Amino acid sequence: MVCQAASDHHWQAPPHYDSRHDGIAGGRPRTTQCAFQRTTTSSRELPGGAFTMSQSLRPYLQCVRSSLTAALSLSNFASQASERHNVPEIEAASSPEVILNPLTVSRNENEKVYIEPSINSVRISIKIKQADEIEHILVHKFTRFLTQRAEAFFILRRKPVKGYDISFLITNFHTEEMLKHKLVDFIIQFMEEVDKEISEMKLFLNARARFVAESFLTPFD
Amino acid sequence: MATLNWRTINVDALDPDSPANFDLSSLTPAVAPASTADVQSLAGQIRQLLRGGDSEGALQGALESAPYGADERGKEIHLATVIEILQSIRQSDMSPILSRIYSSPGGTEALDVLMKYIYKGMSQTQTSSTTRNLTPQATGFSQVHARGGGEGGGQAMSVLLSWHEKLVEIAGPGSIVRVMTDRRTV
Amino acid sequence: MAAPEVHHLFHHAIADHSFSADRQTLAVTRDNVIDLYQRSGKTFQLKDELTGHDKTVTGVDIAPNSGKIVTCSQDRNAYVWEPSPQGWKPTLVLLRINRAATCVRWAPSETKFAVGSGARLIPVCYFEEEDNWWVSKHVKKPIRSTITTVAWHPNSVLLAAGSTDGHARVFSSFIKGVDARPEPSAWGERLPFNTVCGEFLNNTAGWIHSVAFSPSGNALAFAAHDSSLTVVYPSAPEQPPRAVISISTQLLPFMSLVWSSEDEIIAAGYNCEAYRFQGSDGGWQLAGSLEAKSRPGLSDQREESALNMFRNMDLKGKTSDDTKLKTVHQNTINTIRSFQESGGKVTKISSSGVDGRVVVWNV
Repeated sequence: MVCQAASDHHWQAPPHYDSRHDGIAGGRPRTTQCAFQRTTTSSRELPGGAFTMSQSLRPYLQCVRSSLTAALSLSNFASQASERHNVPEIEAASSPEVILNPLTVSRNENEKVYIEPSINSVRISIKIKQADEIEHILVHKFTRFLTQRAEAFFILRRKPVKGYDISFLITNFHTEEMLKHKLVDFIIQFMEEVDKEISEMKLFLNARARFVAESFLTPFD
Repeated sequence: MATLNWRTINVDALDPDSPANFDLSSLTPAVAPASTADVQSLAGQIRQLLRGGDSEGALQGALESAPYGADERGKEIHLATVIEILQSIRQSDMSPILSRIYSSPGGTEALDVLMKYIYKGMSQTQTSSTTRNLTPQATGFSQVHARGGGEGGGQAMSVLLSWHEKLVEIAGPGSIVRVMTDRRTV
Repeated sequence: MAAPEVHHLFHHAIADHSFSADRQTLAVTRDNVIDLYQRSGKTFQLKDELTGHDKTVTGVDIAPNSGKIVTCSQDRNAYVWEPSPQGWKPTLVLLRINRAATCVRWAPSETKFAVGSGARLIPVCYFEEEDNWWVSKHVKKPIRSTITTVAWHPNSVLLAAGSTDGHARVFSSFIKGVDARPEPSAWGERLPFNTVCGEFLNNTAGWIHSVAFSPSGNALAFAAHDSSLTVVYPSAPEQPPRAVISISTQLLPFMSLVWSSEDEIIAAGYNCEAYRFQGSDGGWQLAGSLEAKSRPGLSDQREESALNMFRNMDLKGKTSDDTKLKTVHQNTINTIRSFQESGGKVTKISSSGVDGRVVVWNV
C-alpha cells in the first residue's frame, strides 16, 4: 500500500509523544496523511473531469430520456399466468411475448442505464459513476439509504438489478397516476443529482478529513 | 432422487400450454441464415467502400444487409463493421447522411437497424478493459488509474450517443420502440 | 376548425368510454365501476354508477339501438345492463373464461357481442331465449396470447381481433339461429364458426393495440406496439391479400384507431394526440395531427443550462414550467370512437385517456 508506506516515512513521533496513546494516535495521522494526498489529486483532476463531463453528459441524458419515453408506453395488462392477478410482467416474467428487448445506454463502462421494458412495467437500473473506493462507498451508502425507504419513493425497487447500483420499477399504475413525462424528468434529474451529490459528499469528506488532520497535528507543530 | 426438492420445480415450464412456454419464434418472420464466412466477406466489401471514402454507401450497405440469421460470432463481426463506419463519419455529416437514408426507399427500416446497432454497441462495454482495481482498503487511490485513457470506452460511447441523438431527431421515438419490439436482433 | 370539446371528468384513467346513440349519455370506466354521465348544456353531469365488478373494468359499450350496456372487467366477468324502473339491472354473462376480460364490443346487429380475454380465446356471446341468459361460444383456434382488442365487420359475422402474440386475425363468428347467412365477401364465402379468414403479422412484431374494419368492411387496419399502422386489403377467399400496407411511424405507438371514411384513418395513443392517415390500396401516409398546428416546436424540451436552471429555481422555486403538455390530452389516449357521422363519413370523434378526459374532436 502506497499510502501507508509514504505516511510511515513521513511520520515521526515528536519528543513529547505519549506512548500510552500509541494505538490510537499512531493510526490517525496515517489516514489523515492519505486524505491530504487525495485532496490534492482530486483538486488537480476536477476541472478537467468537470469539463469532459459537461461535454458528454448531455447526449447521455438525452439518450436516456428518449429511450425512457419510448419504453414507458405501458398499458394495463392482467396476468395470463394466474387469474385475477395484475403483476408487473417484467418481474413475473411469466409470458415471454409481453417482455421486450432490453436497452442499454452507456456513457462509459462505469456509467450505464439498463432499461428492461414489458407491456405493463419497465425496470430501469442505473450504474452510478464510481471513480474510486471513496465514491464506491458513498454510492453504496447513498443507494442503501434510498432503497431502505423504498415505500416512500413509489417507483424505487428495493433491490438493484445485479451489476447496477439502483433500480426503479415503473408500472402502468405509476404512469396512470403520475404524468409520464414528469416520471422521465424525475429519473433524469435523479441521474444528474446523484453524480453531484456523490462528488459533493466526497468533497465534504475530504474537507473534513483535512480539518481533522490539521487540528490533530496542530499540537505537534 | 431423494434430494430433489419438489417445491422448487417450475410446474409452468412443464406444461406446453402454459403462457410461460409461448413460442417466441412465432413472432419472428423467416430470416435467411448467414454463415460467419458470408458476414466476413461482406465486412470486407463494406470496408472497401469505406476506404474508398464512400462512408455513406458503406453505412447504407451495412444496414441493408444486417445478418439476422447469423450466429453470435457473425453478428459481432457485423457490429464491429457498423461501429467502424459510424466512427469514421464526422459529426457534421451525421444529420445529412441520416436524412438522405431516411428519404430513400426502405429508409425507415435502415434507420431502425441503425438504432439496433447503436443500442447493441452501447451494451458491449463489459467486454472492454477492466482497469478498475479495487483494493481491499478504501484508500481512494485508484482514481489515478481510472481517469487515464478515455475512461473505459467513453470515447466510443460518445460517438454512439451523438449518433443516437441525431437519429432520434430524424426517425423519432418510433424507431426506439421498434428496437424493443423487433424479435430479429442484430 | 372548431376547438375540441373537452370534458375533464376525474383524475383517473379511463380504459374505455362509450356514447349512447343520441350522444346524451356517456359511459366511462373508472376503476371497478362504470360512471354514467348525462349531458346538461355544455357539460356532463354524473347520473348513475354501475357497480358489480370487483376488479378494474376494461371495456364498456352501449348498443346504439337497444341502449343496453355491456361491460367487462379483469375479474373475468361481463355484465349486460338493461334499464328498468329500479335503475340499471345487470345480467351476468356466462363467459366461461378463467383470465381477465380485456375488451368488449357489440356486433352491429346487437344480437351478440365479443369479449377479448387473457385466456387466449374470444367468447362470442348471444342471448338464449329459453334459459333467459347470455351464453357464449369460444373462438379459440390459433390464438396464442391475450386478446387486446376486438372489432366487428358491418355484417356482424366477421370479427377482427388483435392479440399480444403480434397477430391481427379475422375470424368468422357465425352462430346458427342468431345470424343470417352473410353475403360472400373478399374475406370468405362459407363461414362456419371459428373460420380464420386472415392472419397478419408485422415484421417488427409488436403486440396489437387496436383493429378496425373500414366502413365497407373490405379493408382491415390495425395498430401495433411497434408504432406502426397496417392496412390490409383482402383479394379473395383463401388467397393472399391484395395489398398489405404497413407504415412505420416516427411516433410512439397508437392505442386506438377509427376509420373516418374509406380513405382516412384517425389513430391516437401514447403521443397524447390524434393523427390523421390518408390513403388507399395504393399506399397510405401520415397526414398530420388533428390538433392545431400553431404550437411551438418540441425542440425546447432539451436539457436546461445550469445558469437558467438556477435562475428559475431562484425566481419560481422550480426549474421550468413543463408540467403541462402542449396537447389537449395530458396522458395516453386509450380509446377513440366515432361520435357523429353524416353521409357515411365520420365528422366527429370522441377520445378518452389516462388523464380522465373525454374530448370530442371535429375531423
